[in-house]
Amino acid sequence: MQNLTKKSAKELHEGFLKKEWTAVEIAKAHLQAIDENDNQIQSFLAVFSDKTLAKAVHLDQKLARNEPMGKMAGVPIAVKDNIHIRGEKTTAASKILQDYVAPFSATVVEALEDADALLIGKTNLDEFAMGSSTEHSAYKVTQNPLKEGYTPGGSSGGSAAAVAAHFAPLSLGSDTGGSIRQPASFTGLIGMKPTYGRVSRYGLIAFGSSLDQIGPFSRTVYDNAWLLETISAPCKKDPTNLRLAQINYKNQLDSSSPKKKIGVPFQFLKKLEPRVRQHFDHALAHYKELGYEIQDIDLSILEHSVSVYYVLATAEASANLARYDGITFSKRNPEAKTLEEVYDSSRSIYLGHEVKQRILLGTMVLSQGKMDEYYMQAARVRQMMKHTVDQILKEVHFIMTPTSPNTAFRIGGIKDPLTMYLQDIYTIFANLTGHPAISIPMGMEDGLPLGLQIVAPYHQEMDLYRVSRQLEVANKHHLTHK
Amino acid sequence: MEYETYEPVIGLEIHVQLNTQTKLFSRSMNAFGSEPNTNIRYTDTAQPGSLPLLNKKAVELAVRLGLAIDAKIHLHSRFDRKSYFYPDSPRNYQITQSFKKILEGGKVVADVDGVTKEFLVESAHLEDDAGMLKHFGPFAGVDLNRAGVPLIEIVSTPCMRSPKEAAAYAMTIKSIMEYIEASDCNMEEGSLRIDVNISVRKKGEDQLRPKVEIKNMNSFSNMITALDYEIRRQIRVYEENPGVPFAEVMPNSTYRFDPVEQKTVLMRKKETAADYRYFPDPDLPPLVITQSFIDEVKKGLPELPHKRFIRYTETLGLSPYSAGVLIADRALSNAFERAIHLVKNPIALCNWLTVEFVGRLNEDKVHFMDANIPIENVAYLVSMIENGVITGKIAKEIKEQMCLTKKHPQEIFDQNPDYKPLSDTKEIEAIIHEVLKENRHSVADYKNGIQKAFNALVGQVMKKTKGKANPEIVNSLLVSSIAKEE
Repeated sequence: MQNLTKKSAKELHEGFLKKEWTAVEIAKAHLQAIDENDNQIQSFLAVFSDKTLAKAVHLDQKLARNEPMGKMAGVPIAVKDNIHIRGEKTTAASKILQDYVAPFSATVVEALEDADALLIGKTNLDEFAMGSSTEHSAYKVTQNPLKEGYTPGGSSGGSAAAVAAHFAPLSLGSDTGGSIRQPASFTGLIGMKPTYGRVSRYGLIAFGSSLDQIGPFSRTVYDNAWLLETISAPCKKDPTNLRLAQINYKNQLDSSSPKKKIGVPFQFLKKLEPRVRQHFDHALAHYKELGYEIQDIDLSILEHSVSVYYVLATAEASANLARYDGITFSKRNPEAKTLEEVYDSSRSIYLGHEVKQRILLGTMVLSQGKMDEYYMQAARVRQMMKHTVDQILKEVHFIMTPTSPNTAFRIGGIKDPLTMYLQDIYTIFANLTGHPAISIPMGMEDGLPLGLQIVAPYHQEMDLYRVSRQLEVANKHHLTHK
Repeated sequence: MEYETYEPVIGLEIHVQLNTQTKLFSRSMNAFGSEPNTNIRYTDTAQPGSLPLLNKKAVELAVRLGLAIDAKIHLHSRFDRKSYFYPDSPRNYQITQSFKKILEGGKVVADVDGVTKEFLVESAHLEDDAGMLKHFGPFAGVDLNRAGVPLIEIVSTPCMRSPKEAAAYAMTIKSIMEYIEASDCNMEEGSLRIDVNISVRKKGEDQLRPKVEIKNMNSFSNMITALDYEIRRQIRVYEENPGVPFAEVMPNSTYRFDPVEQKTVLMRKKETAADYRYFPDPDLPPLVITQSFIDEVKKGLPELPHKRFIRYTETLGLSPYSAGVLIADRALSNAFERAIHLVKNPIALCNWLTVEFVGRLNEDKVHFMDANIPIENVAYLVSMIENGVITGKIAKEIKEQMCLTKKHPQEIFDQNPDYKPLSDTKEIEAIIHEVLKENRHSVADYKNGIQKAFNALVGQVMKKTKGKANPEIVNSLLVSSIAKEE
């Protein structure tokens, strides 16, 4: 029996339908890999062995009886633990939700269940998705499967590590400021942050509601496109969902497109580490060879994106997280005697340092006398950024930058929060403007991968997949994951 | 109520629960009186991952109000989060409209002591209600059935100058909300709640002095009492502290009305302004309304109370007071509408309905609409008087029977021979003769031009006929009998 964990989602599904292997074999292979290796990687917060096997048995029976099969039948998928699966815990990697059982499933989870995917477990993250290293989980620190002692990035570090470690061919993350793309870059994966509003947020624990999007991690462009098309069904339960028509991306990956103009904000990349710059230039050279045109663009407004982001995201978070107060469903300090004590001590004890820091920051930027200077000003700059990026994307078809200014750093390697926040310097703007953005592998440095970020006009995820697919083909001979 | 050299300045914030089937941001039922925590869904309990979904019916009702008070209806408005921690609101923020409200301006016309006055509305906006805390000895529980019920908050300008004006404005808002079928406005169940901002100043002053807020008055009469008490209290405070800065003697504070003590009681001083950290709710896209939607709503808008008032007073000839009483109660007014064509004189119908029946039933604390007396029966009774079948005095007795037995007036009339009117003039003349004999003093007075004396004589005749004589006949026979004496 060949090792099924090395296969892509596409191969697993097709082999299952052709009865080359059973769903139970797929499930067992991946559960075994988790069992053997996740004690080192620490990517999962919960593994649903029994449920996954039961579902696999059911799929095998369905196949034997020739019953209609879901579109992703037999594909193991890991889900970030800030997305609800009904009846399972959703902790958001926080102590305050230690005992919280999701009363309903996220729209994306329902879509995957309908597609007969195997939801294999819930993955680790920075508490409430606040962080860039998954070190801020209240439960465990996830390792980068490519190099011990290094972080897989964050906040969707568990989802990235699970796919990079071959515990599943696919996983779901959420991206508020780069939380899918940066971990994808650090673990050599493809990570997509869709257009704001393409994927339903219903059932996703909110961090920054106007920035959050759910998106896929994968080892191949095809698998990524496949997962996105499955989860992007229009959703009436999310008022910010754009209810865009579902597009079959995966079958159009190799179709040709006249869109060949790439914009690069060279000014913005001046401080980039030379070795990272080298890989980036190399990737651009690839595209040039493929007939693309590279154009310098002025994105100097993005100098402000980190500041703007940390005002707006924390402002929204300060209200979104106010519900974790020890009253209705979140954990309550049993010692608390008065209402004030319930509020104060439950939050003090069960929320982590980074989360509290951001709630305080968000509270400050909205407070009387400061709101105009901070929140309002940031909201105005955000509008300007939207306009600027939108205009640029009328002149060029893509904007390219490195995903992250560096490769994965050592666990515990960044102590200063401001340095940590700068991890997202290239990724944040796509959340502020709502544009779709993808990270794809563009090279390796000291055994650690580097990602290329590509941003496209609103709703043009198809173009991102096409252009990513071209680099994937070009890079095939030195792909990390064999 | 006069306050000598002082003038009160009053503004009202009225919260009205909208009578939508479901809540403002969830599909939970909007119902009063259910078992605790039965009308709740994920959004109402702020489950992580849940999202608010705007109820379009609530928007339609807000648009109706906008049309009714001639407000500017903003085609683009927005929802904002208002943050505060309290267990009645599991999100710990209320979804309201702070920066861009759906309605701006507007006016309300009300009759105050027979004078028509116009009151200006500053704005009105949609927001969701909070749940309710219940205390059980050593612990407290929260009932979230009310959490998320749609409210419209109607904020007036500080345009009222007396407690009566404030009550007239509030009553008019209530009847508008009833007429446009946007709320049942049941004050006891809390579907209409009034907060008052009040200050006083010397007549002629153009600056406002510090205001005091009085919370949650649950009846209009309480509101008048509370305001009068508070106005006098504030005047006394200023009079006792001449020369002291206003802000010092009248710090911003919140009072409540104590209905037992009949006075306002200090709840808290607002030492620092609460910081609600309003910001646009990122879960809800801007609320966009089209002009064609507004036009559609306008087509379905029923007759508004003020229009009806004008019709009642100018076309039907009702007194402003009677018209006001009818209109203040939409169900009663609609019943009146159904019966107008059954009588000759709508004024008589109005009086019988509002004074005789409503007044009588009030003694039993029964609302006319719940008394099981069809309005058609009231009209029938009135037409019996109009057709000379019975006298007014007998009609009152039949009314009493109607209230007790719910029977049709014709049936009551048929069953009691005493109710037949005395129309035999001979018989009446005989009684008059008797009365004139027994009351020589009154006859003399009448002859000396004292009209009262005549009335006394009529009263005596009516008494002897047990009210069955037609008063008009009695009058004319009395006049002619006295004339004959001379």
